[in-house]
Amino acid sequence: MTGTPVIQTRDLTKSYGGVAAVRGLNLSVEPNRITAFLGQNGAGKSTTIKMLLGMVRPSCGDGTVLGKRITDAKENCEMRRSVAYVAENKPLYGYMTVEQTIRFASSFYSDWRTNVAKKLLNEYKLPLQRKVKSLSKGMRTKLALLLAFARRPELLILDEPSEGLDPVGIELLLQMLVAQASQGVPIFFSSHQIAEVERVADDICILDNGRLLVNASLDHLRESYRRIDLVFPFAPPEYEFQIAGVERIHSQGHEMRVFASKNAEAVIEHARDLNAVSVEVAPVALRDIFLETVKEN
Amino acid sequence: MLWYKAWLETRSRFLTSLATLTVFCAVFVHHAQGILRPEWTPAYNRLLYIAQQYIVVLWILAVVLLGMGGIVREKATGASLLTLSLPVSRALLLGVRVGVGVLEAIILAVVPWTAIFLVSSHAGMPILVSQVGFYVLLLVAGGLVYFAMAILVSCLVEGEYTAPAMAFGVVFLTIIAFDAWLRPLNLWRLITGDFYIDRHTYLLSAHFPWLGALACLFVSAVMLLVSVKVVQRREF
Repeated sequence: MTGTPVIQTRDLTKSYGGVAAVRGLNLSVEPNRITAFLGQNGAGKSTTIKMLLGMVRPSCGDGTVLGKRITDAKENCEMRRSVAYVAENKPLYGYMTVEQTIRFASSFYSDWRTNVAKKLLNEYKLPLQRKVKSLSKGMRTKLALLLAFARRPELLILDEPSEGLDPVGIELLLQMLVAQASQGVPIFFSSHQIAEVERVADDICILDNGRLLVNASLDHLRESYRRIDLVFPFAPPEYEFQIAGVERIHSQGHEMRVFASKNAEAVIEHARDLNAVSVEVAPVALRDIFLETVKEN
Repeated sequence: MLWYKAWLETRSRFLTSLATLTVFCAVFVHHAQGILRPEWTPAYNRLLYIAQQYIVVLWILAVVLLGMGGIVREKATGASLLTLSLPVSRALLLGVRVGVGVLEAIILAVVPWTAIFLVSSHAGMPILVSQVGFYVLLLVAGGLVYFAMAILVSCLVEGEYTAPAMAFGVVFLTIIAFDAWLRPLNLWRLITGDFYIDRHTYLLSAHFPWLGALACLFVSAVMLLVSVKVVQRREF
């Protein structure tokens, strides 16, 4: 990872009454990367994105997006000129037609690419004269994505971009994300579709209960996370495996399953010292990393 | 393009109000023509004074409705996230909405009275331009307080029906309360011309109340500034 982070937060916190939605978030999103933001419903993903874009004020902490302070209204406004954002639920103005929406949105950005907008319009088969309120959810999502992809922003922030899209639409979206990233546009997107995330993301952030549990590259996660299945000639003592990096231990009879985020070698070595009769090490898919991480939390 | 958005957002309410007011005025004159000829002058002036009362009612109804909407209302529909992601300040968003609303409110005051003036002239009952101007100025200068109040309510309350209900409630209560305890400061009587009408000729006889108009504009400006502060502090 190199360069100044496009998004950086320091102890970013948001509380509603006594309930903390985001707690002490120290997030770093690198340039030229696709960063996925994962978390369960209510984990604080959307609140974080809203804080980054100045829609919600942090209770404490601060952050920068493209080097601009998110808590400074002027700097935040300036930053939004260079950021393309697609919100959750793809909100648009129901009283505008597709054409009016495109004309309206394009007027605010100097990085608008008319040719790309036309190409996407044809690809998505959006009816220009149709009012937005009469579009299907999938069509609305496509229009919202068009408004973001027709630009050449310095950063793309997408909140559950594939929501409402059919498989063909999702495929097109993923291709667009990769194409944008290949042109040097960093992308920060939240999603519940882990299979999609695994296909395109370079970096993974996992948020749970407002806390950032993972902020690492997907390659690093794949390399370091291991599921180790052990068989012993006796009922294995779990406390023997309380080693740094061991996230979860599940034992049944003479068998034990260890889920490690690092130090898999130490676990294997220790198992051999304890005369394990079988040691099987398997890589862990992102889905399992996510599930184990939030389960552990 | 924020102007364009504000226009698209309000145009159906504006055009409906404009049509209602204009048709009302035309019908009013046509009806008066039937009952007043040939001894029409003082009685017709009295009818015009009465017409202003009806126009004020319809106009307030219209400007309160025009003041509804904006990003707080959009919060309920989710569209506020799109609006707030635009590279413009919240003050500018509100400012443009107010600008378009004020322009529409002025048109809603000018067009009906112009209709009255033209239809009256055509019907052989010409009225003084100065009288028309007086009524329009009273309506706009004083009535903008109600528009500003509607904007303020729309920045505080996001419900589609709650906000206009509350705005109309406040209008009604202020009219009643001021009439009961602070009659000289009753905005309603200022806008309708009640303070300035000559009860014999039914012409607006005094000089235009610039001080009262300025006071109304000041109150409106204060309410709009409070609205800006409310919107700037609000979370979406």
